[in-house]
This record gives sequence, C-alpha cells and structure tokens, in this order.
Amino acid sequence: MNQKEKFWGLIILLVVILGYVIPYTFLSDVTKWYGSFLFWSILAVITILANYFLTTDWSDEE
Amino acid sequence: MSTTLVWSTITIYVVIAIVIAYLSRNGRQNSMSGYFLGERKLNGFVSALSYSATTYSAFMLVGLAGLTYNGGVGAFGFEIIYFMGVSLVAIFGPRFWLVGNKYGYVTPSEMLGDRYQNRWVAIVSAIASCLFLIPYSAVQLTGIGYLLQGVTNDAIPYTTGVIIATVLALIFSYIAGIRSVAWTDSLQSLIMIITSTIVVILIVNSLGGLSGFFASIEANDPQALAVPGNGFFNFWTFLGLTLPWFFFSISNPQVSQRLFMPASLKSMRHMLMGFLVFGLIYTVVSVVWGLSASILFPGLENADLATPMLLSSEVVPPILGVIVMVGIMAAAISTIDSILLTLSSLFSRDVYRNVKGDVDDRKQLLIGKIVIPVIAVLAFLFAQLELDLIAVLSVASSAGLIVVVPAIIGTFFWKQGTAAGVIVSVTISSILVIYIEATGGLLLGLKSGIWGIVVATVLFMVVSLMTQPPEQKANEFIDYIKERMKSKK
Repeated sequence: MNQKEKFWGLIILLVVILGYVIPYTFLSDVTKWYGSFLFWSILAVITILANYFLTTDWSDEE
Repeated sequence: MSTTLVWSTITIYVVIAIVIAYLSRNGRQNSMSGYFLGERKLNGFVSALSYSATTYSAFMLVGLAGLTYNGGVGAFGFEIIYFMGVSLVAIFGPRFWLVGNKYGYVTPSEMLGDRYQNRWVAIVSAIASCLFLIPYSAVQLTGIGYLLQGVTNDAIPYTTGVIIATVLALIFSYIAGIRSVAWTDSLQSLIMIITSTIVVILIVNSLGGLSGFFASIEANDPQALAVPGNGFFNFWTFLGLTLPWFFFSISNPQVSQRLFMPASLKSMRHMLMGFLVFGLIYTVVSVVWGLSASILFPGLENADLATPMLLSSEVVPPILGVIVMVGIMAAAISTIDSILLTLSSLFSRDVYRNVKGDVDDRKQLLIGKIVIPVIAVLAFLFAQLELDLIAVLSVASSAGLIVVVPAIIGTFFWKQGTAAGVIVSVTISSILVIYIEATGGLLLGLKSGIWGIVVATVLFMVVSLMTQPPEQKANEFIDYIKERMKSKK
C-alpha cells in the first residue's frame, strides 16, 4: 500500500472502530435523534470524504 | 392497493425494461469477457447505478425496514458499517482491475486459482459462492413474494410474485449479458431513489416534519433510538450481523466481479463515489421508513410486512405507492440477475473448464448460458420454502462468503499464502458456517460470521505457513501491482 492508502486506510479503520464502540458505550442511554442516529450519520459522511480523497488521482488510462 | 393498478404498473415496467435491455445490446456479447464483463468497458455512471442496484436489493426497503421496525436504530448502524466496508473498493478495486486487465480474468475465483497456481482453488471458491448465493437469491425472491402479497391483500399470491421475478431476472440476463443487466439496473435504481425519497418525505411530513417524526419515536418507543435499545441488537448480535457485510464488497463475487468491468480507474472512482452517495440516501430512506412503520403500525406480527403496510397506507398516494412497490420488485430482480450471471460465469469458467480441461471461450459461454436457468430454478425452489425473516437469511449467506476473505486479502498482500491454505480454509470454514446456521445460528453464543472469518483466517495462515507458496507467481503478481500503484502517491 502506498502512503496515501495507509493514511486514509487508517482513518477509515478508526471510523469503523468508533462506529462499533461509541454507540454501545457513551450513546447507549441517549434516546434522542442526536444520539447514535446522528453519530452514525456523521461517520458515514466522513467515510465518503475519505473515499473521495483516497481516489483523487485514479486516472482515465484504459 | 388496487390489483389492476399493480398489474398495469408491472406491465409498464416490464415493457420499458425490456426495451432498454434490447437497446443495450451492441452485438459483442459472443465472448466470455463480452457477455459477463461488458468487454471491461463500462462507464462510471452506469457502473455506479448498477453497482447500487445489485448491492441494494429488496433487502433494503423490505428487510432493513423490517429490521429497523424490530430493533430500532441499531439497524441503521448495521447498514452504516456495511457502508464503511465499501471503502474496501478503494483499496482492492484498483488491484482487481489491474490484474484483471493484465491476466484477462473473468471471475474472482479464476483470479484466486491463477494467483495460487492451483485449479482446485478456483473450483472450491466457485462452488462455495454458488452454495451461498443461491439462498441469497432465494431471499430476494421471497422479498418480492411477500411484497406483492402484502400490498394487494393476497390478490397476487406469493408464488405468482416469485415466478414473475424469476422469469424477469432470466430475461434481463439473457438479452445482452451484463450490458442488459447494467442498463436495466440503472433504470431501476434511478426510479427507486427518486420515488422512495418522495415517499419518505411524505411520511415524515404526515408525522409533523422531522421534529415531529423524532418526537413521536421518543414518545412511542425511546429505546428505538439507541443500541442495544430493546435488546434486539445486543453487541454480539450486532457484531455477528455486521462483520460479514463489512467485507461484502470483496467477498461477494457478484459485486467483486464488477471491479474487473470499469473502462478505467477514473470510471471505477465514479462508480465508488456514485455508489456511496446513493447508498447513504437509500440507507437513511430505508431506516426512516422502518421507524415510521413502527410509529404508524405497531404490533405487526411479521416485520417484513412493515413496508407493504406503509405503501398501502393513506399517507402515500396510490400511484406512488405502486411505483415504489414495483421498484422494490425491480430491485430484487436487479440483484438476482447479476447473481445469475456471476454464478453461471463461475460455473463455466472455474468449475466446468477446470474439471473438463481445454474448453474454448465459445464453449464456456454456451455452458454459462445453459446454467443460468438452472440456477434460477434452484433459487425459485429455495424461495418456495418461505424461510424466516429476510434479513437473517440474507446475512447467513454473506456469513458463508466471508470465508474467502483471507484468501482474497492474501492474493494481494501476502506472498506466503498457498493453495492448500485457501482450499483448507474455505472448505472447513464453509462447512462450519453451514453447521452453525443449521443448528440455530449460534456457536458458544457467537454468530456464524464471526466464526467464519476467525476460523478461515487462522486456517489460511497456519496451513499456508506449512506449505510451499507459488513464489514465482506471487512475486510477479504482487510486484506488478506494487509497481503500478506506486505511480499513485
């Protein structure tokens, strides 16, 4: 894996781990829209951004 | 919902889809890579829509909505973990694509067989895929059966729905192979994303807008907004459900085969980004859908009926309800037709060719085409068994496919991996997953997917370390990728 893949790969890995841990710990008693629902939505948006940056230089060479 | 309206909408859909399928032909479907990969020339836009349609099946608006209905927001987390897993395409996608072009691979199993220099690797992984994906297709058919039955109050019986879907899936894959599949997929996903979003907006409005929507959930069932909530999604269930889906994009051949198809990496990028945007919208829609159903229709006996209930409720104008309903049917079909194509390519390329030896391209294609209806009939029979909650069975099939993940990771990143490692890990862990599923779905309190990935990884590594790797191929293969990926800093 090249440097860029390692960097963004780690970010995504972190996002995944947070996606498992936080809702089941800090947010397990927050029964509001700004609890797990919002948290997972934010992680999803971060995932999209990470993928965007990870693929910026994919070329159109066939 | 009026049966006449349902039938006429189905008819209109069928006519338009068949016309599009015909228009997609370009006369070059007479080779394996032409028929099954669209000559590796798919553009980003069609790839994105088709990838979405193939991934998001009837499972989303029926099964995921049902899962949300039962377990609350945990279902959202489940789908978001899957969503994060699609990032694997950003790592594995260009690698599949590079070697696909260099060595001319048509199927992921073929790639494994060549990389590990053993035809049995291809045969075993192809058979494992068939074993698990036929139930998965059956799940889609079941979805359609329930749906049509639910919205028409039994006027269209379960079996009729299942037959319609099976026949359409066959037609779409036959007309022009992957091209007709991709184009009809695109039609379906476009219509679906627009109409289902409108439905959600209508429903949320009827509940008093977003604040009213969340307020009613908090009033009705506050636990639906947290995990483990009512206990449906306890942590180990959540982990067991999500783990197989996290690896879905590389473990399931009907989507990983897509990584061979884009015309360029830029097209693949469009496919990935298009899919992610589509997927997030669709996920939110399905979950809001399920949550709304739990407010409007509490106490349903079968959660898979949540969606049919919503669509035939007063909040949704009948014509819109019917379009979405037919859209869901089309969604299931777009998943099945891709699976049919993939499985038949696996059978002819990896099983038949390797067992028979020296089968030319034309013959492989012929065998592939013969196998398509056979697989369709098998899926149909499976659907007739009417097994339990759609999501659970669907996950059971992807839990089975998780066993090839270590071998796929090893293909690109571990030169020490060996054919014996792949064969032993895939065979034994598949049998273990099937055993666990057949005996209640849990072993020592853990779901089959967790066992599948752990046991497969351990076996793959231990057996590989005890056997001799195909050094020359491994070096050539991995060094080529390294060289090509280096240019992308």
